Amino acid sequence: MNAGTASKAAAYAAGLALIAVGLRGIVDQVPLAQWAEWFVGAAVLHDAVLVPAVLAAGALTGLVPAGRRIVRAALVIGACVTVVAIPVVLGYGRRADEPSRLPLPYGRNLGIVLGVIAAAAACALVVRAVTARRRAGGASGRGGATRAPRHSRKEARR
Amino acid sequence: MRPALDRYRPPAPTAVLRGIPGRFTSRLHDERVASWLGIALGVSVLVSFGTGLVSHFMQQPAGWMLWPSRPVNLYRVTQGVHVIGGLATVPLLLAKLWTVYPRLWQWPPVRSLVHGAQRLLVFVLVGAALFQFVTGVLNVAYWYAFRFYFTTAHYWTAYILVGALVIHIADQWAKARRTVMTRPQDGVGRRGFLLTVAGASGVVALTTVGEAVTPLAPLAVLAPRRPGTGPQDVPVNKSAAATGVTAQARDPRWRLTVTGRVAREVTLSLADLRALPQHTARLPISCVEGWSVEASWRGVRLRDVLRLAGVDDDAQVRVESLERQGLYRTSQVAPPHWHDPLTLLALGMNGAPLALDHGYPCRLIAPNRPGVMQTKWVQGLVVS
Repeated sequence: MNAGTASKAAAYAAGLALIAVGLRGIVDQVPLAQWAEWFVGAAVLHDAVLVPAVLAAGALTGLVPAGRRIVRAALVIGACVTVVAIPVVLGYGRRADEPSRLPLPYGRNLGIVLGVIAAAAACALVVRAVTARRRAGGASGRGGATRAPRHSRKEARR
Repeated sequence: MRPALDRYRPPAPTAVLRGIPGRFTSRLHDERVASWLGIALGVSVLVSFGTGLVSHFMQQPAGWMLWPSRPVNLYRVTQGVHVIGGLATVPLLLAKLWTVYPRLWQWPPVRSLVHGAQRLLVFVLVGAALFQFVTGVLNVAYWYAFRFYFTTAHYWTAYILVGALVIHIADQWAKARRTVMTRPQDGVGRRGFLLTVAGASGVVALTTVGEAVTPLAPLAVLAPRRPGTGPQDVPVNKSAAATGVTAQARDPRWRLTVTGRVAREVTLSLADLRALPQHTARLPISCVEGWSVEASWRGVRLRDVLRLAGVDDDAQVRVESLERQGLYRTSQVAPPHWHDPLTLLALGMNGAPLALDHGYPCRLIAPNRPGVMQTKWVQGLVVS
């Protein structure tokens, strides 16, 4: 057995031991069926609903004519923030006798955050369009009949 | 002549399944992206595990454990990192799972016994990770949609997650090392994608971190708590009304008793406590749910009260609340904490008498301790 195999075997032993410790704790102290429902349910919902929805959104953004990457970035950031914020927006944890628990108007606040993300994306799109036009204009000013090929920034610096 | 329909053969179901991996056209589903995301995710999960263990063992120390009372902000920082860092890791997990998603559809699904076992361990890893993040995010929003006790399930599942992670790291180490150490020559725009994921984590952190870092409170627009909101500018987790202690806490016949392994039993009224030397301590109240706020507490040193009863230096003290039930109606105070001059039986906060919801007439406040152990509506100290 070489060093690589030995360390891999050690990692497997340690990992399996930790899994066993966790499983024993779950079996001893947690209603197993309910726990398993959430353990498997989260994975199935993720693989069968969330990711297909993301893939569909990705395919749809493929139709965007320009600035596709900016649009996708804004959607990824907005969606992630929404996923994390959805429980406070729905506000099931609110209690009348504890007003300092979930004290903010989270629906409105999420709207503002998404608005800021959208505005940032719009700014990036405008900047991109303006620089593209300037570049195209500069190229034709020098007498080029066709549009100059777009160089990446790295190439332009060289 | 045979009708055209007859000649049409739908593709066999296995052929459809076999074709799925080839339908993922984005080149971001590659090893390099998976490796960078995996490294970041691995670090984050291990940090969450470590900080989670700190919280668990502060609340339920093993027999040999003796937590120090300093640094004052240790628990505040570790639990803030655990919760806010955990929230910021959600985009990392989702991005990593998206990147490797085509591998879910590999065909044939199981090639051998070993391959099957490896895939089972990957399922354990994915299931445990999603379980931890989903229950964690729901817990900080106080949304108990599940019918198990969050703390216990989250704690034990953490071992399953880290165990599966250790095995995954061992399996992927060589591949990840090779792919992140070589300069790619393929012109795939990975940097933009990775920066986007980092941006998502950043926005999540920025809109929640103010619940623990008070100067950033105005930015905490998506945090479940906000410093400055609540009686005397401090949030409350459990109100007197919800606990059913209002009448007893307001009763002028309220007394604090010191009993157990003492030289003499002591009974103190609120006036007696106010007559003892008063001290001020600036200490945070740091919740297991990640939020924390510093306040200026005023009251009697716990050690002064214990000395009145003639308590041994190595004594353990159980602080008991007026609450009749609940996991946190009592808490243990070990010698390092009750010896600390910052540990108070607080009678006031931020320049006013303690609000009822903050534990009037008297509560415990000690440095480097989870909020759930800063017992409110204290009525007894039992020494052992």
